[in-house]
Amino acid sequence: MDDASALMARVRKRDAAAFEEIYDAYHRLVYGVALRMLDDVSAAEDVTQAVFLKVWSSPEGFTSGNFGAWIGRVARNRALDIIRSRAARPTSELPEAMPAEDALEDVAFANLDAEKVRRALARLPAEQRDLIELGFFGGITHEELARRTSTPLGTVKTRIRSGLHRLRSELNGVVTI
Amino acid sequence: MNSAHNDELMDLTAAYALGALPPQDAAIVRDHLRTCAECRAEYDALRPAVDALAQSAQACRTGENGPHASDLIKARVMRTVRQEAAPGSTSRPRPMLWPAYVVAAASVVLAIGTAVANSILSSNLHQAQSQIALLSGELQVANRNAAVQRQMVADLMSKDAQRFAFSDGEVVRRGDRMYIAMHAMHPPPKGHVYQAWTEENGAKTMAPSVTFMPDRTGVAVISLPVNASAIQYVAVSVEPEGGSKQPTTKPEFVVKTG
Ligand SMILES: [Zn+2]
Repeated sequence: MDDASALMARVRKRDAAAFEEIYDAYHRLVYGVALRMLDDVSAAEDVTQAVFLKVWSSPEGFTSGNFGAWIGRVARNRALDIIRSRAARPTSELPEAMPAEDALEDVAFANLDAEKVRRALARLPAEQRDLIELGFFGGITHEELARRTSTPLGTVKTRIRSGLHRLRSELNGVVTI
Repeated sequence: MNSAHNDELMDLTAAYALGALPPQDAAIVRDHLRTCAECRAEYDALRPAVDALAQSAQACRTGENGPHASDLIKARVMRTVRQEAAPGSTSRPRPMLWPAYVVAAASVVLAIGTAVANSILSSNLHQAQSQIALLSGELQVANRNAAVQRQMVADLMSKDAQRFAFSDGEVVRRGDRMYIAMHAMHPPPKGHVYQAWTEENGAKTMAPSVTFMPDRTGVAVISLPVNASAIQYVAVSVEPEGGSKQPTTKPEFVVKTG
């Protein structure tokens, strides 16, 4: 059991000190994801507050595994809710939330820091990196990605796929497990 | 849907992993992943890279609206957490009272304006409303108040603020803003409130200022609606609800600030 899993076990028992350690370790991640997606400081702060209150009120949402990956998804999904509420477009044209529980198995890159990921991203071809970042942080669908970058949809999809494979192998290079 | 495996589904799986599919396409991929080992393996391989992407956004610190915005968010969250925590689990020992003041400041209803009758009723209602709004995921938390609270927390925590201590608190002055931060306060008798008093330079009597109540931990942080540089004395007394025009009880403290 890693640190975060042990802390979350205590949070489930209503341990405020354990929760505070979780907050201190992960608030920059939650805030960073929200700010990148929403480009609005107040909204990012609101997301941070809501995500951590949610962690406190429903800690059973995290069982075990990679806490950072899990809370990153929870943050993205919450920011996506705001993007949805702002959008004039119908929900059918906006991306669906990623299942947060799928992140729990992602223990391979459990101890990444931001700088390592940024370095790995920087080694991707620009046309792959741009699509991946816009897809993840922009909260838009692959079809919208194709429109905004004036790229055929088929090309968008293959670039996302090769880009993610490339990112994974770049990360393998910087991560010691 | 039981779609046969093809290259297009493999590409769609990557877009699904990235969270870039609309609901209809996402449902197709989800169904397909249940039956296609090849695409499932692809999804499992790409997903950690997507989760790593989130880490790349990690901010140096939360809050860019002011030096202490992140303290304010944390204070708001921890306030709820401490209220609901198991007894005895409430955090590392606190060497100072300032965190308690910040917690109080984060939810205090700001005593703005000159009206004496800023009723505690409305303040509790407001607080309850914002907490309910937060918990239900409504994110439009009074932004205007948040900006003022940020200023307030920044002032309270500032190293260059002037501090005038009394037995159970401090009057804090920074620029033309002035606050009273108190702890270990008893609830006033039924039908009574605390009231602040300020005396301007050269004046002979104290003028009535805001009324307020301590929170359940005995802490109160209030913002005084005055130009701080023009104030020579600050006091607090217990008064009947609605406040008084002049003090009717012996003040809890009187502090010289100018
Ligand atoms: Zn398949």
